[in-house]
Amino acid sequence: MTNLILSTSNLMNGGPSIIGRPTSEKSNVELINALRSNFLLSKQAFAPSLNGSSDGSSPDTSSDVPYSRWTARENGSLFVPSVDFSQSGLAEERSQYDITVKLFFLPHTSASERCKHTKEAIDLVLRELHMPSIDLLIVSFPGVSFDADDEEEEEEEEEELNGSQHGEGDDMKAMAETWKAIEWLHEKRIASQIGVSEFGSERLQKFLPQTKVRPSVDQINVRDCCVVPKALILYAKQEKIELLTHNDCTNILPSGTVRELLGTGEKGAGVLAGPEEESDGLKGEVEPQWVVKYTAVVRDRGVIENKGYFAMAEVRD
Amino acid sequence: MGLLALGTPLDWPEAKKKADYVRQWGIEQLLAIWKRAKGKERDALRWGDEIEYLVVAFDEDRQKVKLSLRQADILRDLAEDSVLKEQGGYVPDLQAVQHHGDSIPVFHPEFGRFMLEATPGKPWGIGFKDLLDVEPNMKWRRVIAKDHMNSNEYPITLTTFPRLGTRDDFIEPYFQPSGERLRSQFLPDEIANPHIRFPTLAANIRSRRGRKVEINVPVFKDDKTPLPFKDPTVNYDLHKWPEDDDVRNGAAKDDHIYMDAMAFGMGSCCLQITFQAKNIIEGRKLYDQLSPLGPIMLALTAATPIYKGFLADTDVRWNQIGRAVDDRTREELGEAPLKHDRWRIPKSRYASNSTYISQDPRLRKEYMDPDLVVDQDLKQRLMNGGMDDLLATHFAHLFIRDPIVIFAEDLKELDLNKTDHFENLQSTNWQHMRFKPPPHDKDTGWRVEFRPMEIQITDFENAAFSILIVLITRAILSFDLNFYIPIPLTTANMETAHARNAVLEQKFHFRNDPLPPRPMKVNGASGTSTPAHQTSRPPTPTGPVEDEHSLMTIDEIINGRSGKGFPGLIPLVESYLNSVNVDVETRCELARYLDLISKRASGQLWTTAKWIRHFVRENEDYKGDSVVSEHVNYDLLKAVEEITENEGKTGVGEEMLRSGWATRPQGSACG
Repeated sequence: MTNLILSTSNLMNGGPSIIGRPTSEKSNVELINALRSNFLLSKQAFAPSLNGSSDGSSPDTSSDVPYSRWTARENGSLFVPSVDFSQSGLAEERSQYDITVKLFFLPHTSASERCKHTKEAIDLVLRELHMPSIDLLIVSFPGVSFDADDEEEEEEEEEELNGSQHGEGDDMKAMAETWKAIEWLHEKRIASQIGVSEFGSERLQKFLPQTKVRPSVDQINVRDCCVVPKALILYAKQEKIELLTHNDCTNILPSGTVRELLGTGEKGAGVLAGPEEESDGLKGEVEPQWVVKYTAVVRDRGVIENKGYFAMAEVRD
Repeated sequence: MGLLALGTPLDWPEAKKKADYVRQWGIEQLLAIWKRAKGKERDALRWGDEIEYLVVAFDEDRQKVKLSLRQADILRDLAEDSVLKEQGGYVPDLQAVQHHGDSIPVFHPEFGRFMLEATPGKPWGIGFKDLLDVEPNMKWRRVIAKDHMNSNEYPITLTTFPRLGTRDDFIEPYFQPSGERLRSQFLPDEIANPHIRFPTLAANIRSRRGRKVEINVPVFKDDKTPLPFKDPTVNYDLHKWPEDDDVRNGAAKDDHIYMDAMAFGMGSCCLQITFQAKNIIEGRKLYDQLSPLGPIMLALTAATPIYKGFLADTDVRWNQIGRAVDDRTREELGEAPLKHDRWRIPKSRYASNSTYISQDPRLRKEYMDPDLVVDQDLKQRLMNGGMDDLLATHFAHLFIRDPIVIFAEDLKELDLNKTDHFENLQSTNWQHMRFKPPPHDKDTGWRVEFRPMEIQITDFENAAFSILIVLITRAILSFDLNFYIPIPLTTANMETAHARNAVLEQKFHFRNDPLPPRPMKVNGASGTSTPAHQTSRPPTPTGPVEDEHSLMTIDEIINGRSGKGFPGLIPLVESYLNSVNVDVETRCELARYLDLISKRASGQLWTTAKWIRHFVRENEDYKGDSVVSEHVNYDLLKAVEEITENEGKTGVGEEMLRSGWATRPQGSACG
């Protein structure tokens, strides 16, 4: 089994990938575009250059570059692309930044795996930013999706009941178990604040009693923030939970998408072996495990200096 | 326009003799500031808005509205009241709005004696909750201002008083026109702030120019407008001052509304935003990047369709102010051969800006203004003092002008710890962007002022446009956006913005792709198994400049083009907001603001200019002849007062505002 560590590097240098079309819809376009563009750029860096030209107008020869050239192995993981952590980092000292990290757990992972994933993900972010700690860590559980229009109590309960059956909504026990790892980061002062994503008031009410350190933030989708139900607003206010906005989708990295990104197809990076036998890519089933998004904003200037993603996927023989 | 200390101002012939003095001392003061502050670092984003009001007085019995000249009285009452406040006795009914814990707003005099300016008591930050305080603070300012006026007076935020300079008694108290200072046949000297600086400014501009200023605005040709239109308010038989000959020499043009005094322009209200930059580098970058947005925001905020009681065929104030303070001589204007003056000057002191100043590899020499006039000696002095070419060029360009108001007391010795001589030139160059060096206090950093926007009727709209510009600056810095186009195109856009309904009917030069080029990874260590690669920018682009920009509608610039075209300023701002932590309530308020601007750009909502023009033409007293009568003006200003209070919710003015309140939440975060 190989763990693939996918990364985008700093999107704020990356131009087009960060600006989607009008972005009121929840979307993973930013992540997917950023990964694809970072893979391509990394391959191009190793492509045989024609006439020394590097203005992008020369024919693309990057598809000939074997993945081993632009990826790197480290402790049993394959970094796609290779990451030189000495080249990254923030320009000023810790106190100048607000650093927010959002960790997306993906389906089919257990609570104990998620505890391990949390540590791996945060370690990578801290290495990338050259920082000892972050300000806010938000976790997103798969299948937990708050839709303002749906927050009718019966529906919510129905979803809770059926959740374990069709494997969509994560059950409360597993979430509480995972939360321990988040609390641990808080206790170690690696994350000053911790929070959840897409919790409605019902879910919050069930969740809070099971926590030692309560979430101070609940992040909900912004599509139409003006219809946030009063129950949630009042409950959040009462429990001193700040409601923040986001426009990420919860199932941010489906395995089909990873296969497409890394496969041998037209838009693939050629890391995974294709159906044709002679390919030198990795063989096996790919299963994404987590995605982490990090954002560093210069505190009193409101300027985003660094934003990016890491994602981890397992390739099982 | 801050007040200078009282002193003895020089009349123009004397001032002219001292102009070189003031310029040289100004340059020395600038060098001192620059040397002291060029390394200033890490200043926070602080920003401020300026709201300017016209004070109008309603006469309900006669169904008439006039401009009130009680600025000084109102300011005195405000000043006395803040003393009261310190003693704990502030006006009690203001306590309700005061719980925001804000500092008391600051009120300032302005050029017109019928104007007030109000700024927040302390600058805003970028904390998103600060953004939520802007609109309530603006409303609070208006409440305080109103509270210190007579009961029939009201502070309105229209760019101009529609019947300024008509033949009737449009001011309260009334004064005769044709005074010694302005020599205007329409306006009395008393129209200007009585502080000696202001009448001197007006008189010396006229004197330097050699005749009165000349403002001709094309009249709106309605069904029954007499053609050719000869401004019926012009008096050709006046013989009090030599300048009364101007109209006999053809100053008033056919088919135009004619005006002849500085107060017709400088009596306009604007919405200006000033930002503090992190350091001089960021300040220079913001100055350049905001510059191409100037004409776009001017057209989008259009609010000035009436002058001197006539509907105009233009929608914005800009050029009228430019002409109202145009002190260029016939030689400088190119109307006479250069004999006494040093150069021909293509633009008024009040005009779109002509320089880019950022040391940015993306700034191509093709973008610079080929007609830029620079004082080479002063530029050399700045460069000898260590300033770089670009910045020295900028200031040596501003310093081609003469100082207009010089106080005898200030000419005794050069004080390098002061900035008065520098500010004398800097503050009378009214370009659409202003790059402001730090004053001599420790706290303030390098600042950039964005000056083109027209004031809007409601505080909701004024907050929306102010906040949009703040968010655009954050997007520019975060995404490293590039809006560079050649300066002459911005100059052309500024003219385009004047056209009636330019917001929907005109196209503007704009950069196709504001996003940075994709970075390239450089294979730094080929042959090793873990190559170190680094990211670097591609070299400065070298393709044809003409391919970088195209003509776009305001809708395309604000909301984006479909497909692969310009992404749109609002989508760029949305992308920024999606990347930072914003609470639900703030995001919802910001959505109201962005929605207003988006719909103004697309035409779903009307500009103020369109609404005013429509209101006049629908009024029962309007005769289809472009004349905005006293009665129409009364109805209009009553409606404006109502809109200020109710923001369109009563139906009046809803064409401008409808969505602003329709999307307001009910029983939710934003309630």
